[in-house]
Amino acid sequence: MTPPNNPFIQADGKKATCMEMLQIIVDGEATSEQQEYFKNHMDRCLPCFKSYDLDMAIKQLLKSRCCGGEAPTGLIEQIKIQIKQNTPS
Amino acid sequence: MSEERIKQSYTKQEKQAVFDNEFLPHINSMYNFGFRLTLDPDDAKDLVQDTYLKAYRFIESFQKGTNAKAWLFRILKNSFINDYRKKTKEPSKVDYQEVETYYNSEDVNRQITPDLRVESLQDMIGDEISNALNSLDVDFRTVIILCDLEGFKYEEMAKILDIPIGTVRSRLHRARNLLKEKLSEYAKSMGYKNTEL
Ligand SMILES: [Zn+2]
Repeated sequence: MTPPNNPFIQADGKKATCMEMLQIIVDGEATSEQQEYFKNHMDRCLPCFKSYDLDMAIKQLLKSRCCGGEAPTGLIEQIKIQIKQNTPS
Repeated sequence: MSEERIKQSYTKQEKQAVFDNEFLPHINSMYNFGFRLTLDPDDAKDLVQDTYLKAYRFIESFQKGTNAKAWLFRILKNSFINDYRKKTKEPSKVDYQEVETYYNSEDVNRQITPDLRVESLQDMIGDEISNALNSLDVDFRTVIILCDLEGFKYEEMAKILDIPIGTVRSRLHRARNLLKEKLSEYAKSMGYKNTEL
């Protein structure tokens, strides 16, 4: 059996570290080959296994707690008024 | 807007349509970005307002069909650096040299596993995560906002921030480690036992 090619190998031939792979995966920047490779890797690598859950949880927490607020009421109106004043018609 | 691009020509109606349909829908994200950068509601409002006025004025450099949100975020970021940051005289505390070295050093293989567990995150139901984010230096805060809050891709972030993708990645990596350190401090002060990892 030939081992699967490592799809994380960079153009310069360097192998990505666990952290680099994890980051690409967590941020949704991985190709499907990379995802497949990482899934296999994670089964054998405890640090990646643990970090994956933690990193995903933090990402979700950030998304749910730090956005979704609204701009102050009237801001759009103020912007529109200013544009009108600054635009010669 | 240093990028030299082919200028689009817009009629007055088209201008209005692009502004209303492609720019204004991002107002909430823009305000959140402004607020997280300045940490002040009034400054955030000014920054957003200023950004939209610039966006309207320079609308000819906006390529139809490209990512309006990324374009707006770039203007806001530039306004923040050029106008706001200058005013407050707050120097950037990030040593980029150090960031690069950090990421490229042997250390990269060392898993930094702060005393932080998924379970302790689940108990952070208040402002902990938000405070942790706000406590980071602005350059670190920015990459987390763009990536994790707004879902920009590395390539888009590189354009918004005018830095290479490699720098986006290393800065993001560093920012997350700092965020984790902060969160584990909170977890500790919330009384969790950190003996087992
Ligand atoms: Zn690993």
